[in-house]
Amino acid sequence: MVEINLNRRQFLKLSGATAATLAVVELGFNEKEAYAKSKELKIARATVTPTICCFCGVGCGILVHTKDNTVVYTEGDPDSPVNEGTLCSKGTTIRQVYTSEKRLTKPLYRAPGSDKWEEKDWEWMYKTIAQRTKETRDKTFVEKENGFTVNKTEAIASLGGAALDNEETYLLAKMMRGLGVVYLEHQARI
Amino acid sequence: MAAEYVKYVDVTKCDGCRACMVACKNWNDLPAEPQDFLGTMQSHANVSADTWNVLTFVEHENSKGGLDYLFRHSSCYHCSDAACEKVCPENAISYTEFGTVVIDQDTCVGCGYCVQNCPFDVISLKEYKDKNGKEYRKAHKCTMCTDRLEEGLQPACVTTCHTGAMEFGGKDAMIEKAEERVKEIKDRYPNAMVYNPEGVGGTHTIYVLAERPSVYGMPENPKVPTSAVLWKDYAQPIGKMMIGATTMAVVGAFISNKLFNKEGNGTHEDGGESDE
Repeated sequence: MVEINLNRRQFLKLSGATAATLAVVELGFNEKEAYAKSKELKIARATVTPTICCFCGVGCGILVHTKDNTVVYTEGDPDSPVNEGTLCSKGTTIRQVYTSEKRLTKPLYRAPGSDKWEEKDWEWMYKTIAQRTKETRDKTFVEKENGFTVNKTEAIASLGGAALDNEETYLLAKMMRGLGVVYLEHQARI
Repeated sequence: MAAEYVKYVDVTKCDGCRACMVACKNWNDLPAEPQDFLGTMQSHANVSADTWNVLTFVEHENSKGGLDYLFRHSSCYHCSDAACEKVCPENAISYTEFGTVVIDQDTCVGCGYCVQNCPFDVISLKEYKDKNGKEYRKAHKCTMCTDRLEEGLQPACVTTCHTGAMEFGGKDAMIEKAEERVKEIKDRYPNAMVYNPEGVGGTHTIYVLAERPSVYGMPENPKVPTSAVLWKDYAQPIGKMMIGATTMAVVGAFISNKLFNKEGNGTHEDGGESDE
């Protein structure tokens, strides 16, 4: 049996050196793998979800690549007959709709005459909007004009957006006509 | 070796939407660079370390006295004979199997030789700070999405282009396509030409231009700077040879010195012996 005489300090030094050597050797073995991993295509293990661009009425198909609970890349959907994989400069930015720091995540309310936005919860928002719509409509409703039945209010306007889909716009128009709103506009026309 | 690929840019089909710029930022995760209004539609004066391609807008009075509004997707040309690759002292710049020219960020020391020697001004340095607050720099430019090419995808700018102004394909096919297209547009643009400059061995981004390159602010006849050729092809090999020669001389001197000393020692020892 080989006898090695070591005091405590020498023993610690030796085990330290052994550990360091092993670590280096280990790294040496994994270097290529580590390199490959760092260079992995950023959409390699992403979940791909098709969607429709929210910005204009053309309705381009977009593939959303998500990984680790965030959007890592968006690109035109090559299978979409509308855009065949291409996008405009605005559609290409759609990833920011989710990732931008400027994105609003809570409803903001600015009281009449105020110069400040306040955070409000959805419950309060829905209630207030419903209340004020009803008040305004009842106050300004016109049933007859120049002998014609008009059943309208000119105090409310509706501005739709291209992000709304077919079903949403149908419901929106139906509700607005029901209230007597005549100023029904769309973002793409102004 | 895989076939060489070329990005074909037909500027006459470009509508200036800048989707290629955004797609580049989106794929490469580059931050926005807000700019002041330049007095034109052009968003950025030139490419930078965080903006690898810029859509240039040129107002040009054509030979008929009319106004041409010329758009051009402008980024790295990926020369076949790249000055940046030649001057890089760390060999951080290399050609890929696709013919693209890429900078290895781990090897780059941020010396800026490539920036100074690029005939097209498409490389830029970016400053970083490490965790000790020490500043260091790295050179950046368009990679032609080489990471995408490796996976069989096309560059991000090409896939997003909705007018068909950009295409990505085999080198010969794209050059042929460009020549065909120039014939088609000669009536409207008498100065139309294919831009694939010989001085840098041809490029891997070839253009169908509606006007002379100088109208677009491109060099008419770009060349690899003579100093770069001198440095890489002559000075460096000669330097290496001279290091070899010097080493040999030192080693030779050392050996002969040893021999000489041994002889000296011998006589000394002999002397010593004779003393005894």
